[in-house]
Amino acid sequence: MLTNYIKIAWKVLLRHPFYTFITLFGISLTLTVLMVLTSFLDHLIGSHYPETKRDRMLYVMLMVQRDSAKTGRSSGPMSFKFLTNYAKTLKTPERVTIFSAFNSSNAYVGSQKIKLTTKFTDADFWQVMDFNFLEGKPYNQQNITNGDHVAVITDEFRKHYFSDETESVIGKDIDIENIHYKVIGVIKGSPVTRPVTYADIYFPYTTPKSNYQRDGMRGGFMSILLAKDKSDLPAINNEFQSRISQIPLPGIENGYKYATLEAKSDPYAENFVGQILDGNAGMKAIFFGVIGFVLFMLMGLPAINLVNVNVSRIMERASEIGIRKAFGAPVKTLVWQFIVENIFITLIGGSIALGLSLIVIYLINSSGIIAYADLTINLTVFLVSVLVCLLFGLLSGVLPALRMSKLNIAEALKST
Amino acid sequence: MLKHLFTLIWNKKKAHALLIVEIWASFLVLFGLATLIVVNVQNYTEPIGFTYENVWAIGLKNNQDTVALREKLQRVTQRLKSYPDVVSVSRMSSNFPFSANSMNNGVEYNKRKALSDLYATDENFANTLGIAVTEGHWYRSADSVGKYSPIVINQKLKEKLFENENPLGKIIDKRFKVVGVVNTFKAKGEFMSDKPALFELFKPDATWNDTVLIKVKPGTDAVFEAKLVKEIAAMLTGWNVEVDYLTDSRKNQHNLVLVPIIIALIICSFLLINVALGLFGVLNLSIAKRRGEIGLRRALGATGSGISTQFIGEIWVLATFALLIGLLFAAQFPLMNVFDLKAGTYVTAIILAMLIIYGIVTLCALFPSRQAAGIQPATALHEE
Repeated sequence: MLTNYIKIAWKVLLRHPFYTFITLFGISLTLTVLMVLTSFLDHLIGSHYPETKRDRMLYVMLMVQRDSAKTGRSSGPMSFKFLTNYAKTLKTPERVTIFSAFNSSNAYVGSQKIKLTTKFTDADFWQVMDFNFLEGKPYNQQNITNGDHVAVITDEFRKHYFSDETESVIGKDIDIENIHYKVIGVIKGSPVTRPVTYADIYFPYTTPKSNYQRDGMRGGFMSILLAKDKSDLPAINNEFQSRISQIPLPGIENGYKYATLEAKSDPYAENFVGQILDGNAGMKAIFFGVIGFVLFMLMGLPAINLVNVNVSRIMERASEIGIRKAFGAPVKTLVWQFIVENIFITLIGGSIALGLSLIVIYLINSSGIIAYADLTINLTVFLVSVLVCLLFGLLSGVLPALRMSKLNIAEALKST
Repeated sequence: MLKHLFTLIWNKKKAHALLIVEIWASFLVLFGLATLIVVNVQNYTEPIGFTYENVWAIGLKNNQDTVALREKLQRVTQRLKSYPDVVSVSRMSSNFPFSANSMNNGVEYNKRKALSDLYATDENFANTLGIAVTEGHWYRSADSVGKYSPIVINQKLKEKLFENENPLGKIIDKRFKVVGVVNTFKAKGEFMSDKPALFELFKPDATWNDTVLIKVKPGTDAVFEAKLVKEIAAMLTGWNVEVDYLTDSRKNQHNLVLVPIIIALIICSFLLINVALGLFGVLNLSIAKRRGEIGLRRALGATGSGISTQFIGEIWVLATFALLIGLLFAAQFPLMNVFDLKAGTYVTAIILAMLIIYGIVTLCALFPSRQAAGIQPATALHEE
């Protein structure tokens, strides 16, 4: 029976290539846009190179201080000292790393200038992150204690700074703002869309200009707490919060009197959304309103369009329906047939969309718009898309099918 | 004729409900997109108010060094001035043009309040960025006497605080004295809206104002830059020295505005193509279904162009229905003053969106109606 329906559906598709084209165009392009967007979102917040253990990580990125009237606030990354005292000494996590948020610099090769992002990290950074070392190795605790001027660089920077691409660069010297560093490792870089790990050069925090000696609580450092297991995350958060709550309040920081102090340890996704929503409730409502509206339009318009086209298509087949009804086919069978037909079309559209998305994603990855972009269609993204696919099929199938089933036999046969 | 068309559409309102919803939704999408574009085009046409070619921003960070910062900064500024390749040097706060930083402050004069961007600069600032002073003069160190620090305001702030009064010599907030007015200053690039701005002469010991803007001679390249950075780094041990070309930073600022617009444009055009194709299909089918009616009208003497006008007229009436509903929504934006934009912006966007919608429906109806006009009465009636 099912194969019979599919055969009919196939014939119907071939009979009206133009409508088939409109329907497939709608389905496949909507799904492509959806899949590319999902894939981009997944690229932003999912667990990918080098933050492959994101599901076991808690990010401590921001400290917020408010005054007693809650009108003033001051926020930003923390000092190395603060994180060493309150995060590094936690008992529950497997490992804790501290690294600087964001620094930039320039390097000069002949008449060429290279813009650089630099990062100061501790030795645990290389254990928490899964960087792929193309050459050499990361710096260890020994390098840090000695205050060695060593650096780990990315392959991209290596290409720009060292002209010879075949020779090993381990042990070579780079000059940045008059300070010389020895290269001890070359890694495959992290994409710029992962601000926590993105940099061109990584230094031990004991090299000059890292400001790790700074007193006070605020500074330029952030931290990641890595759990042994996902289930430990709440326990780690509790331990960290209990540490934070022991800080005496109210206090004074850089002349700013604050009554409350807040330092969250969140999974990355929450952190990511939290920073966008870092405002009042009104802002939040507008933000979600806009997102909801865009999503509604993105899905709703093509869906309405599909229903429209389907209604016309099915009405056109009134005579066929009339004859089948006259021969005693119950409404249920007819509705079922049209739903199967629609799901069939949607699935064809879905597979076209899959192909298109693969092409678009390949283009984005290879175009270099985002260096080291690794957008992929993973299983979840694909399953979500297929689910949406089916939803579309049902949505655009049920309404016309119901309408058609109400058709009067005599009326339908008359128009033949 | 028009009344007749309305009755025709109204009689089949149930069948047309989905089409109306579709056009309504497209209108809303277009309205949003048009607003975004109109706002940015309006901003773009306003002058930026300064020149940025060959201007470099040198960011200095003292890190752990806290000794004699004022003297060190002055020495570096003097050294920079002595290079023959450097035309002009000016120190300012970290919110230099096209940077990601911004500072603002509420200011008040005679009960009139305004939120203004704040830039702390020195007396060479206008010279370095080629800012024309329209009234008064740019402040000099000599203006900084007594308890008032001299400021220059832009036209927008002048309008907000002084309206028609002459601002020169007026005291704002009991600490600023206006000495000059400039036209516009859009520090975040051409796409920024013209906001109130205030320039303040900083005191020499304000060592946190550690960005130095230099204007170099055209053609100066990274070789000179490397030499410069090396020398400054040697003068300021332990400091960070970072050079940004304003032209590069400007590109970044533009991308922040343009990339979302381009993405929105791609998604919207995909939606509209989708809708147009659907509309076309539906119209094509419904006209094919009305062959009998058309044949009859032709036989009774209707001309071909009369038939096609009728179909285009029908779809226009349909679109008008949808647009009227859409207007109810869109009109809320200028009425409630959402997002603090001028009503004219929304009205322009609404008109643009309406024109595009009418254009799309006409295009979609054109081909099917031409086909309908070509129907021969004899064949159509024979099929009946």
